Amino acid sequence: MDKLAVLGEGAKYDVSCSSSGADRSNIGRIGSATCAGICHSWTADGRCVSLLKILLSNDCAYDCKYCINRRTSEVTRRTFEPRELADLTIEFYRRNYIEGLFLSSAVLISPDHTAERMYECLWILREEYGFAGYIHAKVIPGTSPELLHIIGLVSDRLSVNIELPSEASLARLAPQKRVEGILAPMRQITETQAEYRTLSAPGLMGKYGSAPATSGLSGRATTAVFPGADDFAPVHAGGATFHAGFPSRRGKYRERFAPAGQTTQMIIGASDENDRHIIGTSETLYRRFSLKRVYFSAYIPVASAPELPDMTMPPPLKREHRLYQADWLLRFYGFRADEILPVDYPNLDYDLDPKAIWALRHLEFFPIEINKASPEELLRIPGVGNTSAKRIVRQRREAAVRYDDLKKMGVVLKRAKYFLTCSGRYYGDSELEPHYIRDRLARGHRDPRELSADASASSPILDEAKIRGELAGDATAQISMFDAISALPGAEASG
Amino acid sequence: MTYLYDGTFDGFLTCVYEHYYSGKADAIFPSGAYQAGMFAKPHDVRTEDGKARKVEDAITEKISPHALARVYRVFRTSVEDKEMLLLNYIRFCFRHGPSAACLHTHPLVLPVDKAEHRIANEAHRLCGLIRFSVMTATDSDEDAYSWEATVSGRAIARRSAPEILYARISPDHDVLEFIAPHFADRFKSEPFIIHDTERGKAAIAWRRRWRIEDFTDKDATLLTGTLGEQAYRDLWCEYFNTMAIKERTNSRCQRGLMPARYWKNLPEMNIR
Repeated sequence: MDKLAVLGEGAKYDVSCSSSGADRSNIGRIGSATCAGICHSWTADGRCVSLLKILLSNDCAYDCKYCINRRTSEVTRRTFEPRELADLTIEFYRRNYIEGLFLSSAVLISPDHTAERMYECLWILREEYGFAGYIHAKVIPGTSPELLHIIGLVSDRLSVNIELPSEASLARLAPQKRVEGILAPMRQITETQAEYRTLSAPGLMGKYGSAPATSGLSGRATTAVFPGADDFAPVHAGGATFHAGFPSRRGKYRERFAPAGQTTQMIIGASDENDRHIIGTSETLYRRFSLKRVYFSAYIPVASAPELPDMTMPPPLKREHRLYQADWLLRFYGFRADEILPVDYPNLDYDLDPKAIWALRHLEFFPIEINKASPEELLRIPGVGNTSAKRIVRQRREAAVRYDDLKKMGVVLKRAKYFLTCSGRYYGDSELEPHYIRDRLARGHRDPRELSADASASSPILDEAKIRGELAGDATAQISMFDAISALPGAEASG
Repeated sequence: MTYLYDGTFDGFLTCVYEHYYSGKADAIFPSGAYQAGMFAKPHDVRTEDGKARKVEDAITEKISPHALARVYRVFRTSVEDKEMLLLNYIRFCFRHGPSAACLHTHPLVLPVDKAEHRIANEAHRLCGLIRFSVMTATDSDEDAYSWEATVSGRAIARRSAPEILYARISPDHDVLEFIAPHFADRFKSEPFIIHDTERGKAAIAWRRRWRIEDFTDKDATLLTGTLGEQAYRDLWCEYFNTMAIKERTNSRCQRGLMPARYWKNLPEMNIR
């Protein structure tokens, strides 16, 4: 059975691996889902295997330049019978190899034909096998809304790949895919979820009220220290109403539509958008469509075309890493895209993490007093995360937190010591001076050889990123994919 | 005074009771692990249900039900000298009250906190890292289990020996009873055995009910793999190898997330 290898090969560049977001005990005959998700193994590249990530078919009618399965590519073509794949999933699941199924597919004949076969496979799993485990279905752009709806009813998570961060790149590299074909299913999913009351914001966003800048630790809106009330209106806010005519969907076995939400994925490094553009796009997706995750995938050359980067280009793993860090700041730390990447600095710094860079640019907020600061402020300190912030807040109710306690709580003092005081005392070995601190912080991150090479030059401070941004072209000049949204029907309702 | 107990949780709670009513405990050991030859003559504590319940109630009421659950979880770890660690923790919490759990960095609380994390993490990790094999009983009666009902030459029903899911684990801590409920729910219509080879016991479950019993390698030989078992194992290994992106190879990351001590029970890490 070489199908498994061929079709697994085709699916492995899909980044999403999570089996999280749905919590359900065994309501069928086999299977359950845990909210936190469970990883079952880790491949040699360190990525986890959680779901059986596989294509139903790799026999594609489209010709996207970056894709291994494009029509003009010479790969072995294989297609699963829906029942064959359902059987395989159950056998793997029984042996606890996997947490569920991630079903994707190339466009076999037409989007609707593909979606029908995917639905058949999922239906066999859910109805015939009574499978109550996790199912993640990839939506083929261009699928009709009715098919998308019934697939959503048997899936836990849906995803539509946005592929590239701007319309221009999409037109260039994936000529058969249309922006509307990608955004329309996304909007449909969000609205249906709102209707079924399964919609929830990603990460800590809106967990304690919907104010976007509110972080997860308390219900209070952010203090004036970090101004950030904003004008994002979720697409579901006014649009979808809960129809009184529908039968009640409450109760244990109520019909559910994609309870674990939707995600998407962008390829990084195949086109020339800057980081500001990418993070801005992610933020829009989180706020307007309440996506659970936006995944980034460092472009790995699998095809050569004049529009694409050189085949020898190594995947931009470092950039992908920094983008994920910025993504975490959006979802779990109450940052806004504008704060992480202001217009003057459109690219992330490779030497330092985005939070440290933000802190160095805003030294006026620091040092922050550990024993007095609000949870939101604590989260702004580099080296303090959600867990350690929560511990600080809990412990200081009982007794003042001392400097020695911080390390035990999980605070990374190497970074944090420059930005905080403990009961009024400052523990950094210098004054709050950005060049010096930056140099100190970056030293740990950098290759020692690299360090000796530029030791003679003065430290590059914060302008490096700026220069890189200028080379890459002005952010504002690019057409945002989401300019198109307001022109689409249904968007007015979001007001 | 040095207390010896029988290794059970109730035995440990009885020691806590004796610490308060018979004399201060300087050390508590399970009687099997104690090596004679120390200065003080050890005192054997007989497990008493009544005393254990009293300590349990006191922890629930004076500290919190959560604290009792935590004490139990830490008791199941293999942390060195966990008995004294827990006794000191309980004493501290009795003095300090329910809010003791907020003092993460207190020298008596921190090690308990850490130990609890370790066992909880391992239990979570094993929910993913357990690999079942589909087995049947070796000595199952061939005639009783393989028959086919045929109607005019077409098979309409078939019965073969019942299948049992069997998994071997060798965890650092005694996590069996923390992972059993997860699988008992997930595989509620199939019988399964999770065999802890380190401790010679197993969780045996069927129809959502499970219990823990002594189980040895000899018991395991009563099971043999079904015909398709190796084929599915090979398929899984093939799939696993396909999923790695070679341009991104990072075996250090892999080892960090899936420590090598778990590999021996994973078919994908033992490809011949």
